[in-house]
Order: sequence, then structure tokens, then C-alpha cells
Amino acid sequence: MTTVTRRKVLKSGAAVVGGMAGILATGRPPAFAQGTTVHWLRWNDFVPASDQLLRKELLPAAEKALGIKINFETVNGNDLQPRITSAIQSGSGPDIIMLFNNHPQIYSESVIDMSDLASSVSKAEDGYYDLCKSNTVDGQKFIALPWTIVGAMIAYRKSWFDEVGSPTFPDTWEKYREVGKKLKANGRPIGQTLGHTFGDAPTFSYPYLWSWGGSEIEKDGKTVNINKKEVIDSVKFMTAFWKEAHDEGGLAWDDTNNNRAFLSQTISATLNGASIYIEALRNPDKYITEKNAQLKTDIQHSPLPKGPAGQFAMHTFFSHVIPNYSKNQAGAKELLKWIHTKANYEPWFVSQKGFATPPTHAWEKHKLWDEDKVMAPFKVAGLLGQTPGYPLPSSGKKPAEVLTKYIITDMYAKAVQGMTAEDAVKWAEGELKKIYT
Amino acid sequence: MIEGARWRKWVFFYVPMALFLVFLLFPFYWMVITSVRPDGELYRPWNAINYNPFWTWKPTWVHVRYLFEETLFASWLWNTTFIALVSTAISLVCGVFAGYALSRLTFPFAGSLGTAIFITYLVPQTLLFIPLAEIIRNYRLGDTPWSLILTYPTFLIPFCTWLMMGYFKAVPKELEECARIDGASRWQAMLYIVIPVAIPGILSAGIFAFTLSWNEFIYALVFLSSPEQKTVPVGVTSELIRGDVFFWGPLMAGALLGSIPVAIAYSFFVEHYVAGLTGSVKG
Amino acid sequence: MAIAETRVYLPQAPRPRLRLLEDERWLALVLLVPTLVLLGMFIAYPFVRGILLSVTNSRVGVPGEFVGLANFYKIFNDGIFRTSVYNTFVYTGVTTVFKLALGLWLAMLLNRNFRGKAFTRAFILLPFIIPTVLSTFAWKWMFDPTFSVLNWLLYHLGLITGRINWLGDPDLAMISIIIVNIWRGVPFFAISLLAGLQTISPELSEAAAIDGAKPWQRFWHITWPLLLPVTMVVVLFSVIQTFADFQIVYVMTGGGPANATHLFATYAYQIGIGTGLLSEGAAISLAMFPILFLVVIIQLLYIRRVEVR
Repeated sequence: MTTVTRRKVLKSGAAVVGGMAGILATGRPPAFAQGTTVHWLRWNDFVPASDQLLRKELLPAAEKALGIKINFETVNGNDLQPRITSAIQSGSGPDIIMLFNNHPQIYSESVIDMSDLASSVSKAEDGYYDLCKSNTVDGQKFIALPWTIVGAMIAYRKSWFDEVGSPTFPDTWEKYREVGKKLKANGRPIGQTLGHTFGDAPTFSYPYLWSWGGSEIEKDGKTVNINKKEVIDSVKFMTAFWKEAHDEGGLAWDDTNNNRAFLSQTISATLNGASIYIEALRNPDKYITEKNAQLKTDIQHSPLPKGPAGQFAMHTFFSHVIPNYSKNQAGAKELLKWIHTKANYEPWFVSQKGFATPPTHAWEKHKLWDEDKVMAPFKVAGLLGQTPGYPLPSSGKKPAEVLTKYIITDMYAKAVQGMTAEDAVKWAEGELKKIYT
Repeated sequence: MIEGARWRKWVFFYVPMALFLVFLLFPFYWMVITSVRPDGELYRPWNAINYNPFWTWKPTWVHVRYLFEETLFASWLWNTTFIALVSTAISLVCGVFAGYALSRLTFPFAGSLGTAIFITYLVPQTLLFIPLAEIIRNYRLGDTPWSLILTYPTFLIPFCTWLMMGYFKAVPKELEECARIDGASRWQAMLYIVIPVAIPGILSAGIFAFTLSWNEFIYALVFLSSPEQKTVPVGVTSELIRGDVFFWGPLMAGALLGSIPVAIAYSFFVEHYVAGLTGSVKG
Repeated sequence: MAIAETRVYLPQAPRPRLRLLEDERWLALVLLVPTLVLLGMFIAYPFVRGILLSVTNSRVGVPGEFVGLANFYKIFNDGIFRTSVYNTFVYTGVTTVFKLALGLWLAMLLNRNFRGKAFTRAFILLPFIIPTVLSTFAWKWMFDPTFSVLNWLLYHLGLITGRINWLGDPDLAMISIIIVNIWRGVPFFAISLLAGLQTISPELSEAAAIDGAKPWQRFWHITWPLLLPVTMVVVLFSVIQTFADFQIVYVMTGGGPANATHLFATYAYQIGIGTGLLSEGAAISLAMFPILFLVVIIQLLYIRRVEVR
């Protein structure tokens, strides 16, 4: 009913408003029916300013430029997977859906090929990072269009670390544990979630596992070899590390609890995206330290420490898919193309203040990265991260299943809750075998 | 009964009663306080010195304003009420008719049908929602209130039927027989004699159905997607749990305000609600 | 129930069309058709399809092929599934016992005459009326690891020195959801049992008191047996609901920490919708059904026996 009215209005008005503006803005006639509504589903951004920017400026501009109506919806990040599943099952739903990490692989049969869009963006911006391709390529084609990377770094309180004698951030797990012990003794533990979260938990547990020499699968893609000494050692270390240095409520945390804990100054360090620092910047007078300084002056970022097998990282990756059922595929593609043009993507990127690292090399040179030294580590997030399924070259369906079942995170969570390291690893081995063999 | 000294009255009545009331009603007080508490106070850790849980000196409407301005809360309220009212109406009609048939008419398979209807109450929603999603798609009802209006009766009808059966059983057969002797048809006897007598039961069933509709979550979560179409439980859960830091205020405000329509309906019919519960268990 | 004066409209004679409805069987059919159609379309048919789904290997977007009982075999070997089953039984058992005990106590308290009785009775039902999702949020905030008001209270009462990790410790998380379920269910039990209590004539109790029976004996030998039918029905209804409970766990813990609080329904949801493994999710949901059916049959038989007595 309302759609018909809208369509009528658009049909009559479009020739004047939409069509003309569209032609003028893009320099070519719009290629699809007037009156198309594109439903775009994203998560509630951890940097609210960006969602505001989209709603108030970017999307209205897109509507004018492309002659379409945009229905922009944001939901809690954890609800994206249920939404796409029920949408695919019921055959109707959003036209563009944002997904995390390698989730697109789970839905590869139900989404359209994005290779043409992907290659045009890649060409214009010096190419995608490897981890982007790993997450979004199924065989030969792009099943999702990379959007951005949210770098995960440890945000920590410089002054507190100084006080316990660690002026530079500890670079190995042993050193981090020692420092953490002292901090917790002062009532300022490290905070880390080992719960079922899409962001903070996997971006910790996976690189932690890799840094000790473990992995969910071997290079051949078939052998599960997680039940070995290095992994058991990592689990034992984690259990002790947890009790000695962590806020033990972390088992129940979601991706926002550590933000709140850090900002209310009950923890001294946590692995997170840059949203903690950005929030402290946004409201500098709301967050005052015990020494009466603004909290933002006491926050620094560091990558995860090294383990016996090296230093690893995993960052949360975002991409967009267009499902097969969508009746507005052309419009959706136009919208994605529009938003990825430099002129339109840049304001969004700037509003993120470094929380998001764009998926292509070209943006490394952007001046935003020079503005704030505290954000410097995030610039190279794209270069350094691996993807679930490492050391497999591509993060496909099976690593996606492992990720959504939280097997790696749970292995550590179970041990921390009291299971012996051997049993926890054995459990993980069983679960992994069920998926990979 | 508690005889004897006054202290016994206190120990055995007033104190337990007070404890029950505190236990049952404290969360509501908590919702109210959190809704009007400014953010600065909201996020003090529990062992901070100035943590003051039970009162705030600086109440603010900012959360409520946020709820109505920045989210589609008003739409959700409307949607949920509309869906609940229509589902209730449908379920009452079906439940009254079915309850009458099963309790006052004899016909083959009466017993089995009654049992079958009861069995459907056992089928878990988590099993049904995936196949239902397909059916909803085939009828193109996805993302409309009708997807819920047609599926809610599936758990409301068995309950209404069962409730009405209890009430109908208590209506003496003589009433109907008198009417029929006087020339009324079965249909008329049902409509004009038996049903009016069971109006309290119908009201109770209606209120129960209304509150159960408001309470439903899974189907609404799966079948609705556009923000304007959502119901209050789904909207509050999906749009007020944001990744950012400060949303407990609007969340509690939403929880409180989202409960008000049901509470209002309930307050008008509390007698019938209670009578309904009691009638159902007697029947 | 007072029977109001009713008016009977007397037609001249039942018109031929309506004569069909005179037949009890036809009338029953007409009356039952709407119900049967709705339930058939939206329960029976999807139920069958759900069964079919559980014996294939469908994933989201992929219809899959018949695999027989492979999904069931897989979930029975799944440690998390076994935990969910265990959790569901513990959850249902513990909450029902407490709801019954506390509900009964509250009912007996409400059975007395006191000022503000009607008022109290109305307010008592609020936890049950309020949409569960919304009230569970309030509880979640009360249990929050960093900002919990309960911790504050217990700390200031001197009962604890450190912090209680309500939602982060697996056992405490279970206790937390049990508390919320009890909170929600006690009013329902209380009001229903109150109704039952009010049908018991007080003379019985008084006669026993005259005969020298103590309060506890009066309760056990008079009140309880007379209350049993009502009790069993209420317990049955509650068990069905609690067994299939979804919202409380979904909101409070999401099944965590590390799957410690998963119930049938939440685990089925996580597997089916969360990971897109629809057929496994359907298998988990279906596994719930026979167990629930059994529990219900046992209770129904017990009720029948009690009624006959």
C-alpha cells in the first residue's frame, strides 16, 4: 500500500528530481527502474558517529544520486547471522547484508557473485589485503565485497603499566603475565572476554593459539593436529594467566563489557578495537583518571605479545553480501559501488577515526593516520592479520563453521573454568575432527 | 491461621509477605530508577565509593526522549498492540467455538481431537519456525504483521480452548435444553445462552491471550525484519543493544514503557484474569 | 455464577439451511473448522516438514539430501547437546520445585484477610504479566559483573568480600537463570494455588483444629490432598513452558558462559539459525518433543489417578 504510493510519487517526481539529479551526478542515465527501494542491513556501529553520518548525510546523498530509496537498518552485531539465515529461508529480506569475518562462506550458495565490483574497487585502490581475499573468495569468485577491517589491539593504561615497572608494553606472553600479576594485585586486572562474541573473543583466542604454534587444521586442509604439546602448554598457560592476572568476570563478557570496564577504570588492559579510545576522545571530560587527567591521555595501543611461535593477529573483518533472493540486485550493486567511491567512502572512514582500516592498500597513505600517534598501530592492521583457518590459504566453509561454533575460544574457556588442559584440547580436537573430516 | 501472640503475626505473616513483595517488585523499581538515572551515575562500578543504587538525585528524561526520538519505539508499541489484539480476537473466536464443541457436543473423535489440540501445545516453537519461515514466504507474508497474526493463534488457541472448556463444562445443560425446548436452534442456544454465561471466562482467556502475544519472541524475531515492523520485545533487544557504551538507560526505559500497555489492559481486567487462572485450574 | 436473565429469540421455525447445524456432528465440525485449519496449516504441516528437515543435511540455502538418522547420531555425540539436555532437566526440575514451594507459601499468605489484599494480589502478578524479554533485561543489569546492585547489597551487608561473578561462572550463571525463572513463575503458582485454597472449606481445618491437630498436620492431611488436583494442573502447565524456555537464557547468557547454560531451545536456535545448520537445529528441537511428551503423559496419568481417588 505505502509502497505503491511511494512508487507513484517516485515515478512522477523521479523524472524531475531523481532522474535529473542522478544523471547529473553520475554522468550517465540510471540503469534500473525508478522507485526501487534497497534495504541495507548493517550492525550497530561501535562508533555511533559513523551511523549518524550514514543516516543523515551519505545515504540521502546516495538516494539523490542513484534515484533509489534506501531503507537503512542497523541491528546488534550478534543478530546478523540469524537475520540472514531466516531471510534466506523465507526468501525475502534485506538486499545488502553486512557480515563478519568469514561468515559469507557459510552462505556462499545463496549470494550473488561480486567479482566485478570487487575487481573495480581493487584496481582503483592498489589491491586488497590478503586477509580480505581469504575471507571473501570462494574458489574463483568474490562472494562478498570487502568493506573494512577493524584492527584489534591491546588498549592499555600507560600510567598504570609504568607504575609496575613496564614502561614499554610487554612483548612476550610471559612478560605480560608477570606485569598482569602485579596489576591485578593492585586491583587493576587485565580484562578479556572468553565468551561467545563475534569480535573480541576470536581476535584473542585465535592469534593466541597461533602464537604458541597451534592451529585448527594443518596446511593440507584435512589433518587435525591440535592435540599436541604446544597447544596443551598454551592452555595451561592461559589458565594460570587468567587466574593471576585477569578479571574473572570476563567469561560472561560480550564485546561491550570490556569497553565499559576499561572506561570505568576497573581494568588496566584489554584487547579491543579502537572504540575505547575513540569514546574517551568523544567525551574527554566524562572520563577522568584517579590523577585527575583526561583518560584519553593515558591510553596506548599495542599488538598482542609474541609467543614461542611468533607474533600473530586476527582482526575483525567486515564485508557485504547481496543475497540471491533480492529483487533489487542492480540497485544494491549501484549503492555499493557508490559508497566505495573515494569521495563517498572517505567521509565514512574519517568518521571512524581509525577504528576501521579500509580493505585496500591505497588508504595507508591517508593523512588520518598521522593525526593521532595513539592510533598508529591500526594503520597496518590489514597487512598483519591472519584469518580463521590459518594456515590454509583461504578461509572457507569449514573454518567458518569452526568460528561460528566458537570451538577455539571455548577450548580456553573450558580450561579456565576448571577442565584440565588435556581434556579441553581433546574436546576441541573432537569437535574439529567432526567438521574437518 | 496464625493464632496467638503478635510477634507470631510478624514472623509468620508480615515479614514473609514483605520479603515476597520486595523480591517480586524490586526489579520494577530498578527499571524505573535506571530509566531516569543520568549516564554518569549509571556506569559507576559497584564497589566505587559513590555508588548509590537505590536513589538518584538528578533524574533525567534523556533516556525516554532517546527512546522515542532515536528509535522507532512508538511504532513497535503500535505494532505489538495491533498484532496482539487481532491474534487475540482470532484465538478467542476459535477457542470459544472449539471449546464449546469439545465440551458440550458429542461427536466421533471428540476425545482424540481434544488430545490432538492439546498435543500441539507441546510442539516447540524452535522446531516450527524454520519450516514456518518457508510457508510465510510462500504466502508472501514475510515482514508483515500478518505473519505473526496468523501464527500466534497456534499457541493461543490450544490455551483458550482448554480454558473455555473448563468454563463451558460448568454451565448446566438445563440452560440449553430449556432454550431448545422453547424453539431455539443449537446455534442460537450456543450464541445467546451459553456464551453469554461464560463471558467472564472469555474475558479471562482474552486477557491471557493478549499477554501471551505480547510476550512472544521467537516468531517475531525470525519473521520480521524491517525496523518499522518490529514488535517491542524484538525491537528493544535488537536496536537498544548497541555496540556502543551507554544504552542501559533507554533499554530500561524501553522495558518499562513496553510493559505498560499490557499492565494497563491487565489492570482493567485483573479480576477476570485472576478468575480465569482459577477457573482454568478448577476445570 | 449468577445466571443473568437471558432472552431467547424465537424464530418461526428453524430454516432448512440451519437444520444441518442441528446435528451435533455438523455443528461440531463447523465450530472446529477454523481451529483445525489454523492449527493444521501452521503447526501440523510445519511439524511434518520439521521432521523431514531433521532427516536431511540441509543448511541455509542448500536443500540437502536425505541422510536418515545421521543428524540425531551427531547430536547425541555432541557434548554440548548432552549438556543442554542435562541443563534443561535441572532447570525445569529445580525451578518447578521452588515455584511450587514459594507459590504455595505465598498463596497461603494471601489467603488471609488483610488490608490492601486486592491491591497486593494485583501487583503480585506483575512479574508474570510483563514480557519476559523486558524483565530479563532488568535482571541482567542487576547481575552485571561490573555494575551489579546485588553485589553492592551483599557486600554492604557484609556477606561477601569479593565480587560474585553471577553470569561468568557456569554454576552461578545457571543459578541466575533459575532465579529469574522462579521470579517469573511464583506469581502464577501463587494465584492458581490461592484459587484452589479458596475452594477448601475452612470448616474442615477448624474441625481438625478442635480435634487437636497442629498446623503442620492440618496442612499435610487436609489442605495438601485437596489441593493436589489444582497443583498437578499448574505444575503440568509450568513444566511444559519451562522445558521449552528460550527467552530468559537468550537474553541473560546467550547459552554461555562456554555453553554452560544452554537449554534445548537456545541450543537449537544457535545451531540452526546461528550457524545455519538448519537440519541439525531441527534435530535438536525434535529431540525435545518425545521427552516432553513423556513427561506430560506421566503427569497426566498421575492427575487422572489423583482425580479418581
